[in-house]
Amino acid sequence: MTAPANPLRILVVEDEPALRRFLVPTLAGQGYQVLTAATAAEGLAQARSHNPDLVLLDLGLPDQDGMEVLRQLRAWSRRPIVILSARNQERDKVRALDHGADDYLAKPFGAAELLARLRAALRRAVQTEAGDSVVAGGGLRVDLARRDVSLDGRPVHLTALEYRLLEALVRRHGKVATHAQLLVEVWGPGGAGNTHYLRIYMAMLRRKLEADPARPRHFITEPGVGYRLDLDGPG
Amino acid sequence: MDASTRPILVALGSEARALRLIQAACRLARERNAPWIAAHVETTAGAATEDEEQVQVWMQEAQRLGAETRRVRAPTLAQGLADLTRGTRAQVLLLGRSRGRWPWARLGHATADELLRRGLDASLVVLDDPPEAAWAGAPASPFGATAGAFLVLGACTGLAWLLPREGNLSLVLPIYLLGVALIAHRWGQGLGVLASALGTLLYNFLLETPRFSQGGHWPNLLFFLAMLLAAQLVMGLLRRLRLQAREVQRREFHTASLYLLGRALARSQSPEEIALSAAEHIGRTFKAGAWVLFPEGETWRSLPGSLADHDLPPPSELGPSLDLAARQGDPLEPLPLGGAFYLSLTGTDRCEGVLRILPAEAGGLPPRTWELLMAFAAQIALALERLRWLEEARQAQLERETERLRNTLLGAIGHDLRTPLAAIHGAAGTLLLTDGLDEPARRDLLAMIQDESERLAHLLGNLLDLTRLESGVLQAQKEWQPLEEVVGSALGRLERREGPVPIHVDLPPDLPLVPLDAALMEQVLVNLLANARRHAPGRDVALRAWSEPGRLCLEVADRGPGIPEALRERVFEKFFRLPGSGEGGVGLGLAICRAIVQAHGGGIQAVERPGGGTAIRIDLPLPGDPPALPEGTP
Repeated sequence: MTAPANPLRILVVEDEPALRRFLVPTLAGQGYQVLTAATAAEGLAQARSHNPDLVLLDLGLPDQDGMEVLRQLRAWSRRPIVILSARNQERDKVRALDHGADDYLAKPFGAAELLARLRAALRRAVQTEAGDSVVAGGGLRVDLARRDVSLDGRPVHLTALEYRLLEALVRRHGKVATHAQLLVEVWGPGGAGNTHYLRIYMAMLRRKLEADPARPRHFITEPGVGYRLDLDGPG
Repeated sequence: MDASTRPILVALGSEARALRLIQAACRLARERNAPWIAAHVETTAGAATEDEEQVQVWMQEAQRLGAETRRVRAPTLAQGLADLTRGTRAQVLLLGRSRGRWPWARLGHATADELLRRGLDASLVVLDDPPEAAWAGAPASPFGATAGAFLVLGACTGLAWLLPREGNLSLVLPIYLLGVALIAHRWGQGLGVLASALGTLLYNFLLETPRFSQGGHWPNLLFFLAMLLAAQLVMGLLRRLRLQAREVQRREFHTASLYLLGRALARSQSPEEIALSAAEHIGRTFKAGAWVLFPEGETWRSLPGSLADHDLPPPSELGPSLDLAARQGDPLEPLPLGGAFYLSLTGTDRCEGVLRILPAEAGGLPPRTWELLMAFAAQIALALERLRWLEEARQAQLERETERLRNTLLGAIGHDLRTPLAAIHGAAGTLLLTDGLDEPARRDLLAMIQDESERLAHLLGNLLDLTRLESGVLQAQKEWQPLEEVVGSALGRLERREGPVPIHVDLPPDLPLVPLDAALMEQVLVNLLANARRHAPGRDVALRAWSEPGRLCLEVADRGPGIPEALRERVFEKFFRLPGSGEGGVGLGLAICRAIVQAHGGGIQAVERPGGGTAIRIDLPLPGDPPALPEGTP
C-alpha cells in the first residue's frame, strides 16, 4: 500500500507496550501517520504540538485519569477521539461519550473492528464539516433539510417526537449517542433520567423503520450506553 | 533458684472468697514479677461437700489471669498444701480463713496452724473474710448490742424482784428464759451465752432465798443455768433454720431468674438482642436500669439506647480498672462510679464489654443481690462470647468455602487457560521460525491464534463477570424497558461473534415493559442462545416470552440431547459441565445467567422441552405498573 502525500495523523495514547506494538504497525500499514504517547502528559503535549486528525485514548493511564485528558482535549479540539476501555465498564463508556468522545472500543478488539471504527469516525468528521443534510443507506433515507423520511422509496410518517429522536441519531450518524444526550436533545433538560421514554420511542421507530424490530439492522442498541444509527450494514 | 522467681502458691476452694484470694495472689505475683500457681487440694473428707463445678470456675478464672493450675489429692488440706509448697518451692502460700459460725471456731485455724508447725520455707499469708454484716437481720454495733442485753437482763431482774419470794424459781425462770431468748434472737448467740451466765449470777445474788447467800443452792443454780443455755440454744437453732429457709428461698429465686435470663439469652441472635434481654431481666429482678457497654475505639457503644451520662471514662481506662487483678476494692463487689455500678462482662477468654447498673433507689442495691448480679453478668458474658465464637466460626467456614472454590477455580481454569495459550504460543513460534511455510498453512496458524485468543478473552470475561456479580461489585441497574430491545441487541452481538443465528423469535407486540439491566440481561440471552447453538447446532432454537400476572417469562429452547432430571439443578453451578458435553465452555455460562437473574430478583430453571430438548425458563418480577408515558404520546 502506498502512503498518500498528506497522510492522516493518529495519536495513540496507550500505556501498555504490547498494545502499542500491535496498534502502531496496524495503523501505519493502513497509511496513517502514527504518533504514540505512554502517559497522559505526553499525550496532551503531542496533541498540542501535532494536532492529530484522530486520538485513540486509553482510559487507564498511569499518571492521570484518561477522562481528564479527554476533557482537556475537548477544550480546544473538535477532532474525533476514540476511547479504548476495559471490558464491561459501561459507566466509564457513558461518561466518556457524554464528555465528547466519539466512539469507544472495548478491549480486546480485533484489527478489523478497530480500522472500521476509525474510518467511520474520520468520515463523520469530514461529513460534519461539510454539513451534509441527507443520509441514506440500507433502504432508509433521511433528508434533514426537508424533514423527509423514506424507507425503500416509500415515505414514512413519523410523529414529532419520533422525528426529533431520528434527527438526533442521524446527526450522530454512525456514532454512539448516550441515553442522556438523546433525552436532552429530544425532551429538553427535563427529560434526563426518564430512559424508559427513550426506549419506548425507539421501539416505535424500529417498528416503522426496521424490517424485523427484534433484529434491528439500523437502530443498534449499545446495552447500558445508548443507541447508534448504522446505515452502512446490510438492510 | 532465685527468690524472685519462686512462684506464689494460692489455695482455692469452692467458696466465693476464692476470688479475693485470686485477686491477692495475682497482685502479689505482678508486684514481685513472679509466676503464680492456683492449687486445689481434694481431701477425702471434703470431697463430698465441695462444689466441684465452682472450683472449676475459680481455677479457670485464675488461669485466665495467668496462673498455672494444680489439683492434688491428700488426706488433709495441710498435708496437701505442705507437699505442694515444697514441690513448687513457693515463696508465699496464700490461703483463706472463714469466720466460723460458732465463736469457738474462730479461736484458731487448724490448717494454718498445722502448716506453721510443719516449718515450711515460705511465708504464710492468711486472708480473713470481711465481716458479713448482712448475716444478722439488723446490723448493730457491739456496744449497742451489749447495752441492749444488759437492759433486757435488768428489766427481767426488776420484774422478778416484784414477785413473791417463796419458791420463786418456777416463777422467775420463765422471765429469764424469755429475756435470754430475746437477747439470743436479737443479738446473736455470743451475747446469749453471756446473758445466760449473767442471769444465773443475778438470780443467785439477788433473787435466791435466802437473799445474798453465798453457798448452798447449787442444784437450783445449775438447773437455772442449764435452762437459760438451752433457751438460747433453741433460739440459735431456730434462727439457723429460718436463715436456711430464707437462703433456700433466695437460691430458688436466683435459679429461677437465672433460668429465665439464660433462656432469653439463648434465643438472642445479636449483641443488641442480648443487651435488650439483659436490660429487661435485670430491670425486672433488681428494679434497676441496666446497659451493656461495648468498647468502640475510645468511646462506648451503649445498648439499649444511648447512655445518660457521658463522663464515663474511655474503655482504655475503665477496662483495666474492672480487671480483677488491677482493680481496687473487693472483687466480689461491682465497681461504683458516679451513682452507677459497673461489672466486667468477662467470658472464658476475654472481656466482651461492661455491664452498667443504675439502681432505681439512691441507696444502691441490697448487699446480697450482688452475688446474683454477678451470676447474671457471667451469663451475659457467656452469651456474648457464644455469639462472637459463632461469628468467628462462620467466618472460618466462609474462608474455607472460598478457599475450596478458589482451588476448584484454579484447577478448572488452569487447564482451560493453558490449552489456548499453548496453541497460540506454538503457532506464533512456528510462524516466526519457519520460512518455507506455504500461504494456506500460514493463514491457518494465524486464524488459530485469533480463535484461541478470543476463547481466552471470553473465558476471562466470564470469570470476571461472575466474580463481580458474586462479590456484589456488579449490581443490576434496573430500568423499565421493552424486552424486544434486549433481545435485539443480544442477537446482534451473537451474529457479530458467530455469524447468522437461525433462531425463531416469538415476542408478543403487547408485552409489557420490564425493569431490567439491559447489559446484564443481554449477557444472559447471549449465553443461553450460544449454549442452545452449541448443544443443538442448526436445529430449531426458539426464544419466546409471555407475561403472567406479576411476572414476565422468557424461554430459550433447543432440540439438543436434553439434561437428565437429576442434573437440571446442577447445571447452574459453577464449573459444572454435563458429562460428554465435549470441549468448549468451562461451565460458567449458566452460573453467570443464574447470578444475573437472581440479581434481578427472578428465577431460572431448566425444564424439558415438549418434543425433546431443553428449555431454560426465566421468570422476572413485574413490580407494579411501569412509570407513566410522557405527555403527547400518540
